[in-house]
Amino acid sequence: MSAALDLAARRLVICLGPGGVGKTTIGAALALEAALGGRTVDVMTIDPAPRLLDTLGLQIQPATPHDVPLTTLKPRGRGRLRALRLDPKRTFDRLIERYAPSSAARDAILGDRIYRGLSATLAGVAEYMAAEQLLDLRREGASDLIVLDTPPAHEAVDFLDAPRRMLELLSSRALALLGASREMARGPLGIFDFAARAVLAAFDRLTGLHLLSDVQAFVRSLEGMYAGFAERAAQVQALIREPATMMVLVATAEPQRIDQTREFVSSLNRLGLRPGALIINRVMPPLPGLQEIQHARLAAPLKRKLRRNLADFSALKAREGPWLERLHELTPEDVPMLMAEDLGREPDTLRDLVRIARSLRVAG
Amino acid sequence: MAAGGSGIFVSLLPIRSQEACVQLLCPSDMSLPYLILVTGKGGTGKSSVAAALALALSNRGKTVLADLDQRRTAAGLLGAEFDAPGHFPAIANLEVRSFTPRAELETFIERIVPIKVISRRMLRSHTFGYVTAALPGLEAFLMLERLRLLADEAAARNGFAVIDAPASGSAIELLSVPQGVRDLAPSGTLNRLARAVDDFLRDPRRFGVLVTARPEHLAIREASEALATLRDKLRIGYVAVVLNGVSDPLLSGSDCVKIHRLAAHRRLALQRQATCELAARAHRQFQETGVEVIELPMLYTAEFARPQIATLAGALDQLVQEE
Repeated sequence: MSAALDLAARRLVICLGPGGVGKTTIGAALALEAALGGRTVDVMTIDPAPRLLDTLGLQIQPATPHDVPLTTLKPRGRGRLRALRLDPKRTFDRLIERYAPSSAARDAILGDRIYRGLSATLAGVAEYMAAEQLLDLRREGASDLIVLDTPPAHEAVDFLDAPRRMLELLSSRALALLGASREMARGPLGIFDFAARAVLAAFDRLTGLHLLSDVQAFVRSLEGMYAGFAERAAQVQALIREPATMMVLVATAEPQRIDQTREFVSSLNRLGLRPGALIINRVMPPLPGLQEIQHARLAAPLKRKLRRNLADFSALKAREGPWLERLHELTPEDVPMLMAEDLGREPDTLRDLVRIARSLRVAG
Repeated sequence: MAAGGSGIFVSLLPIRSQEACVQLLCPSDMSLPYLILVTGKGGTGKSSVAAALALALSNRGKTVLADLDQRRTAAGLLGAEFDAPGHFPAIANLEVRSFTPRAELETFIERIVPIKVISRRMLRSHTFGYVTAALPGLEAFLMLERLRLLADEAAARNGFAVIDAPASGSAIELLSVPQGVRDLAPSGTLNRLARAVDDFLRDPRRFGVLVTARPEHLAIREASEALATLRDKLRIGYVAVVLNGVSDPLLSGSDCVKIHRLAAHRRLALQRQATCELAARAHRQFQETGVEVIELPMLYTAEFARPQIATLAGALDQLVQEE
């Protein structure tokens, strides 16, 4: 049987999709299958299910790569799988430590109340930090395939766009507006920037918070770090566009996923990117036949119950049909749509992950 | 908190414990909060539950069904078409609305900068977007203020508002904002505003949260964590869990033994049995921590649209009637 999804030429696989579709599971399954095929794989997860964490042995060591023992699984090659868990806050802290021009500047930033709020709330921080950790992994060069799970996105492809937006923020007039030097911010200030400043001042007056002055102080303290950020952001942009990088879009056959998936496809398009595959997770496998029940030597009431059980599951299977069709319609023509089998329960062993990968017919 | 801490959701359930009975004698516990926010893990049926609840409540008073992402998923399940926001011609007493942090911010800015040309251009500039993003929690805070007004409107006309909210992580972030603002600004106007929003969130007559869960380990765990945070950390007055998609056992353990020759059918039977057991265990577990549980049945239907939402609304209504 030929592979439906060939990862042999890929060095980076990025799983994208709305929250709750099972990006982490799919990512882990792809990584495991590639490792069993003989490759050295790092799988980076962001918000893994506790049981999956157990499976990958990540319960104890969250932020450092951790070997997943494959010996129980009869690997076909000398592959290796390492798993690690992303911690956006810690990565941001590390980044500040790395790029801060002085130790005084570093301490000022890390202790700043705006930074503490910002590192958790600014749109794109978690995504940007995932990209940072990805670059670290690449530089370390211990693996020949990285599978990356992305944070649950509010806005379609937050993750892919985050480095650019972060860079835009850093080079934007917003900074000049907030009091950074004019050399750092590009372009002159327009009337609308002054209006924005007026609004912020009004907000400050209204609130008595003096937030604006704090934001200004924080922005000024970031100034020395611009070059470092810009370089990293450019690297990430280049990396996601390499031919050896594949974007995998994950969805499920449920009504609310149709619009979400369509938005993902079109925002990828806007960035000049296209998915390498659309994976529909948790698709019910074919159901057994009614004849088996009729021919079995069982009491009539039990047969009735079995028939009803089959009818119930058949209804659920039928529910998937139209949504699968709709997903197929919105998949770009040369992008394969693959279906990952629903196990009827949450996957919680490496064997379960292998089963999911096999249903996708993945080749490492 | 005693079992039955969230009085009104006790009233949605058959009464079991003595404490719950005592609670129900208190008249202030006899009414639902004017505004109910429905949240939960992705894929646990937030929108279905919000739609069913709004449909059930529309029988008792004018009800607003609102979302915070402009997708109108819950209203879509009721079969509404949206050329224009507003009333639902097909359902009396039900109005659909959509709120976004962005729109709330715009209203706020337009209030401060009354010259429309400038305020509009400003809102469109990238610069401004980053500035507001850097002010932690401003948009979320304005959104909560909107919910407070919505609850007041509902109270004034003796109706209800149901919010089809984002997934539990984002919803908790949203509800944590006043606390964060209060920590940031220990005194002053903003502190006062934040206190008003906090009072609203903690007032069980005005505000309640329903957390949806399905009989799946991960969803149950996420719901327990969300409930603990909502109740103990954020001190939300009314919290309850909706256990969604609970099926009837149908086949017993001994049935499953008898059908060992029919491997594929046996697998389906066991799958059903496992979710039933999980649901029962989750129900007990939630109750032990003093959280009210509302169970909604699994609907084995090929379609999931308005008639199924009506069935769920009926189930919710019946729970109310039983009380």
